[in-house]
Amino acid sequence: MSWFTDRHFFLLAVAVYGVSTVYSVFLWRKGFRKDDHINYLLLLVAFTLHTVAMFQRGFSFNQCPVNNLYEATTFLLWALVAAYLAVGLLPRLKFLGAFASPVLFAVGVFALMPSLDPPRGPQPEFSGALTSLHAATIMLAYGAFGLGAVAAGMFLTQQHDLKFHKLRAVLSLMPPIQRLETITSRLVFVGLVLFTIGLDAGGRLPRPEYTAYWTDPKVVWSIFMWLVYLALLMVRRIFPQSNRRFAWGVVVAFIFLLLTFWGTNLLSTLHHP
Amino acid sequence: MNVVVIGLSHHSSPVELRERFAFAEAKIPEALKLLRESGIAAEAVILSTCNRVEIYAATALEPVRAFAELKKFLVTVHAYDMALGDELYTLVEPQSLHHLFKVACGMDSMVLGETEILGQLKKAYDLALQHQHTGARLNKAFQRAFNVAKHIRTETNIQRGSVSVASVAVELAEKIFSSLTNREVLVIGAGETSEKTARALLSRGARSIIVVNRSHDRAMALANELGGRAVPFDDWGAEFEKIDIAISSTSAPHHILDRARLEPLMKARQQRPLLLIDIAVPRDIDPEVNFLENVYLYNIDDLQAIADGYLKQRKEEIARCEQIIAEKVKGLLQSKHENRGWKIEDGTSGSPSSILYPPPSL
Repeated sequence: MSWFTDRHFFLLAVAVYGVSTVYSVFLWRKGFRKDDHINYLLLLVAFTLHTVAMFQRGFSFNQCPVNNLYEATTFLLWALVAAYLAVGLLPRLKFLGAFASPVLFAVGVFALMPSLDPPRGPQPEFSGALTSLHAATIMLAYGAFGLGAVAAGMFLTQQHDLKFHKLRAVLSLMPPIQRLETITSRLVFVGLVLFTIGLDAGGRLPRPEYTAYWTDPKVVWSIFMWLVYLALLMVRRIFPQSNRRFAWGVVVAFIFLLLTFWGTNLLSTLHHP
Repeated sequence: MNVVVIGLSHHSSPVELRERFAFAEAKIPEALKLLRESGIAAEAVILSTCNRVEIYAATALEPVRAFAELKKFLVTVHAYDMALGDELYTLVEPQSLHHLFKVACGMDSMVLGETEILGQLKKAYDLALQHQHTGARLNKAFQRAFNVAKHIRTETNIQRGSVSVASVAVELAEKIFSSLTNREVLVIGAGETSEKTARALLSRGARSIIVVNRSHDRAMALANELGGRAVPFDDWGAEFEKIDIAISSTSAPHHILDRARLEPLMKARQQRPLLLIDIAVPRDIDPEVNFLENVYLYNIDDLQAIADGYLKQRKEEIARCEQIIAEKVKGLLQSKHENRGWKIEDGTSGSPSSILYPPPSL
């Protein structure tokens, strides 16, 4: 089985994400009329394969597998699925999967691009528990932000349908918008806490000589993202009525995070020496 | 021995006739006893609701004879002396079983897919079972009917959604609020539909009802009935700070709530979500308010459109349900033929005795 590498397991996981995406299209078309377990099971299977892939990679280097863009992306997706599987246990929240699957599949295909996972050189200079904590908490934070964006997307869809008296608003089994709103803000809050821990752990890591820290694009970008999410929560607290704008903010922030994540990684000398 | 059905329902007869043939619940055991003692049926269940009166019987008699005796029984015990035509329907196997399953699933009900009939059918069966008027055949047929109803409820959309305006309003509220517990409801104008809607919301956990009406006495009366409180008509705006749902059904010729009036009220209630149900014609609430953040306005046509949508969905499911029922009836009849498990040795296969019915008190 040695020819069957962690990348093969991840490929299988992405294939199942693809199946889940196709299945989700049918759920969308049916209007979420029946509490659906199939998609949850599909994502559970994909998550298992995904976990195997990550563990295999992690054990082979004895550290948290977040050393290049491929690993960071797969970790991010893994965190998103883990968050979904936890939240999906609550009644009527399994439909989050139908909103999450297309993102998982698209980003998963992107992660499989060979250039993102170059052959590994010597053991990275900075390894150990703090690095793993830094990387893992930040990726879990991205997972929470991602699922928050998915819940916000559900909120916006359902709210629009209710406002414009669409029949599918009542025909669907989606959760009430108030609950979706609560879930969104809680996920963003959890994400922000994890992000804070991760950034703090990153700040405590030994810095390589002759590398700028405060001007490193990834550091600047991370602090910017941290401020964005903090501002979203603050605005939400000050103006509780603007739930729609908050939901849009969460969706846009995560899209921005996804679109800029790889670019800042490539530009960062700290993260991409 | 066959399972047969004789009865009349909203499909075949008007309420004036149905009420003549209705059985009081307390009298049913006596009627069942009479049916069995007379030799017409070995087992029997009587279902008597506002929409149907039916006798399900397992009988060894030839169908023609059995129906003649059952009809005579019905006419005699209810002292009905007029001619009966198509109002009374009679069914033999497999149609009788098919009918039983359809009734259990709410497919023969006035409101397609309603679930109340299943409870009534269970109650009718339990009553017969308690008094030992059922046996292997009816037990198996009824239990299978209850299973089919459960299967259909979970596998199809025939029972999904609400087809009345009041239930649709409740369903909408459940799509907006995490829970209806502790929600405050304001009823503006004490009309029948708003009363029904308020009751439905209360049954789902709404905390209290505030009633305002031009006639304060009427408001007080309704508030007392619903366990809420009445407020003078001109003060209803002050209540907006506390409420989550408002149902309006006044006879005002103009809008009593418009955007200009609601905007400051929404600020006062810190923009919490507000569901407005406007069932008045002409409308009480200006449609413009729906453009305000966190305000969800539905008028009578919107609610009716949702109810109609549900009904359409239910109708689309009929073919699927019919197919499931046909398969289940086939399965039941197959098991009957295979193991003859429905055999009842009760000696009732002979001719019915001369039936001496009691006076028409049943």
